[in-house]
Amino acid sequence: METILEMERITKKYGQFTANQEISFALREGEIHAIVGENGAGKTTLMRILYGMEQPTSGTIRIHGAEKRFANPAEAIDSGIGMVHQHFMLFPSRTIAENIVIGNEPRKSIWFDRKQAIAQVGALAERFRLPIAPGQKVGDCPLGTQQRVEILKVLYNGAKIIILDEPTAVLTPLEVKELLITLRGLAEQGKSIILITHKLHEVMEVADRITVLRNGRVTGQLEASQTTVEEVSRLMVGRELDGIRRETQQAGQPLLQVNRLFIRGKKGKPLLDHVSFHVRSGEIVGIAGISGNGQSELVQALTGLLPVDEGTVLLQGKEITNRSVKQIREAGLAHIPEDRYLWGTAKEASVKDNAIMGHHRLKEFQRGGILRQRKLDQLVTGWINSFAIKTSSLANKAQNLSGGNLQKVIVAREIGHATPFLLACEPTRGVDIGAMEFIHQQLMDKRNRGEAVLLVSSELSEIMTLSDRILVMFEGKVVGELNAETATEEQISLLMAGGKQP
Amino acid sequence: MKQWKQTLSSLIHPLIALLIGFLAGAIAISVTGTPILQAYQEMWTGAFGNLYFLTSTLARSTPIILLGLGISLAFRSGYFNLGAEGQMVLGAVAAALTALYMPGSGIVKLLAAMAAGMIAGGLWSLLAAWMDAKFKVNLLISTLLLNYIASLFAGYLVTEPFKDTTGSAALAQSRMIEQGAWLPKLFAGMSLHAGFVLAVVIAILLTLLLRYTVFGYELKITGQNPLFAAYGGVNRTRVMILCMLTSGALAGLAGTVEVLGSQYRYIDGSLTAPGYAWTGLMATLLANSNPLGTTIAAVFLAALQTGAMGLERNTNVPLEISSVIQAALILFISARFTYSFLKRRKEEKNNGATV
Ligand SMILES: Nc1ncnc2c1ncn2[C@@H]1O[C@H](COP(=O)(O)OP(=O)(O)O)[C@@H](O)[C@H]1O
Ligand SMILES: [Mg+2]
Repeated sequence: METILEMERITKKYGQFTANQEISFALREGEIHAIVGENGAGKTTLMRILYGMEQPTSGTIRIHGAEKRFANPAEAIDSGIGMVHQHFMLFPSRTIAENIVIGNEPRKSIWFDRKQAIAQVGALAERFRLPIAPGQKVGDCPLGTQQRVEILKVLYNGAKIIILDEPTAVLTPLEVKELLITLRGLAEQGKSIILITHKLHEVMEVADRITVLRNGRVTGQLEASQTTVEEVSRLMVGRELDGIRRETQQAGQPLLQVNRLFIRGKKGKPLLDHVSFHVRSGEIVGIAGISGNGQSELVQALTGLLPVDEGTVLLQGKEITNRSVKQIREAGLAHIPEDRYLWGTAKEASVKDNAIMGHHRLKEFQRGGILRQRKLDQLVTGWINSFAIKTSSLANKAQNLSGGNLQKVIVAREIGHATPFLLACEPTRGVDIGAMEFIHQQLMDKRNRGEAVLLVSSELSEIMTLSDRILVMFEGKVVGELNAETATEEQISLLMAGGKQP
Repeated sequence: MKQWKQTLSSLIHPLIALLIGFLAGAIAISVTGTPILQAYQEMWTGAFGNLYFLTSTLARSTPIILLGLGISLAFRSGYFNLGAEGQMVLGAVAAALTALYMPGSGIVKLLAAMAAGMIAGGLWSLLAAWMDAKFKVNLLISTLLLNYIASLFAGYLVTEPFKDTTGSAALAQSRMIEQGAWLPKLFAGMSLHAGFVLAVVIAILLTLLLRYTVFGYELKITGQNPLFAAYGGVNRTRVMILCMLTSGALAGLAGTVEVLGSQYRYIDGSLTAPGYAWTGLMATLLANSNPLGTTIAAVFLAALQTGAMGLERNTNVPLEISSVIQAALILFISARFTYSFLKRRKEEKNNGATV
């Protein structure tokens, strides 16, 4: 295969800070080349340089052997480079066809030729097998479709090299599957693809070659067929990951008992359909499922944020059905919420104010309604040290923290409640491998101490590594229970998609 | 170091607003042909030039501070109280009638009147909070509309059942309160009264409340992210009810101190005509709902008005110059406020899509 693009010894400095240090890599025609690395490794910077959004401090770019310099994205596009951005740049009130042809519209004399545009876009979608309806409004499309529109836009502009920066971050597992198939199809038709991600399973599934970055440098270039997830993650993190320490132990008494929980839906279909299960002390029970199958409602019902119509919840034998959040928390529940920005933090508030939620009510930290600031400071400082949370100070606003560090604040706060039961939802969504391993170990330690954890995650690998038992939810029901030791990914996937338990 | 930077950056917007206000004022002044610097100097003198002017400015700022503090408190917890005017008016009329009809000595009348004023304002505000909690009636609209009811009702009271019939003129006002129930003046012969001290003390108390108490913490978090508060077990309805109650009580107190400290009776329209409530809202917005900042902003806005009076006395620049400056301030503040409101809405929408 012919080499289409070479980036040679690219260095990019922001003042004193080096984001890219002598990075070289070559892209072959028709290959999918993955660039992986933890958050902050320099992946996006490198791609911005390639796309003409940044100028390298030194180094050269060659396309088909000819040296190029891109002063702006328009010049990069002229050389056949296209970029699908992490945040879609589409006009929601316009149709798919209009969004794709914008900037290069077909015309009839001086007027926009809508029919022609729809025909062209339809043909393009056909050719690259990307199913869309050209006349539909972009605002009405799911994110997966919007991403296809972005890809088509790039193809419409004649790109030969397509850059995708973390394209799967916003997608559902099913949409991810479709995207990966699409990418393979594009590669087979001769397009060269640069795929940026930190999800290694996806990389292994689809990439031909892998370039690993750490701290702005290349730490490895590998053939995907000749390496393993473990090897790549070692190159990414720069050390051996320890793996999770699970102690064998006998699960104890049921701590959380959920009996025939039912929540009526708006459109006839129940949100929760007579869900029953229990979690015993000393075990982690995982709830797998494609998001939107009742997990969020279950979590909100258990934590007192959503009233249930029928059924009961018992925590340590005490009924907590439809109690207030405060009462439920006092009964022994802590909760890592699924969306850290929506539920889990106030981003304009300080790190400290975010960390003390719930603790602020305890006798230990208040006297007659007056907060004991010194004690609270000690508490939070302790977590910052033990969880290695990177923040400039306690007064730093939460929004200045990276996603992984903010998640650590939440995990520290909720583990810090030292409750017998923890409800952990998407505990590692969007955090890098190092933080992920740390958080997993915290959950496992909790289990090993004889406490109980209910883990709700759309990340199947997370469910498989941590759980003792796995429940699968589909359309508001628990459709299967599996022993984690014997369950296979295929079995779970099948149940998640609505298939029967074999 | 970091703290400094944050304080500094929180001052930038108000300072830009002031600059724009004074620029607009400068343009208006230059139209009248008066030298700009001289005009502003006159304004300064009119507001702070001697003890008399200074105390008039502070006296004028007193109700504005209290109103601003009440609005700030509601804002900080994420709720809009646009009903401060009605709450103030009801507070004022309740205080006046209590002072007139409460049996007992002067000091008893005074204390009872203050309590009555705060209760009246607080309950009026609570009505809106209750309708929000019970029937989801939007606070923004209910508080605003309740203003009209309150003003008309207070007006009715002093034109019909409690009208002052002792005087010669047929004014819509209550009788005068006996002197023993007046709030004391701070300086003999000046208009500044004890209500100002009360306002400053309350500003300090609110600062302490926000910074050091469990309730203040829950209130701030509710304002910053209500979902996070709910998730953490904060009873949001309780926070709203308490904040709206206090907010209304402070507005009621603003009306009360005007009655007991400077007018000594309830005169229909005397509190609404100067636009105290809206000036209070402006002080809140200028100071980003910080209690001490709101106090300073309220004094500044009052100074603008007293200063403009001085300006009119000594030059041919009309009093309305203060309106020009205020209008420019409002424009800037509301543009910024709308911008951040829209940004927040958009972010919420984006976040919502990923749930
Ligand atoms: N404009 C910039 N100014 C200063 N530092 C930057 C800038 N852009 C990126 N960085 C820094 O460069 C590093 C690499 O960032 P980035 O390329 O976005 O990483 P990745 O995409 O791998 O997560 C980060 O530490 C980031 O803070
Ligand atoms: Mg990136």
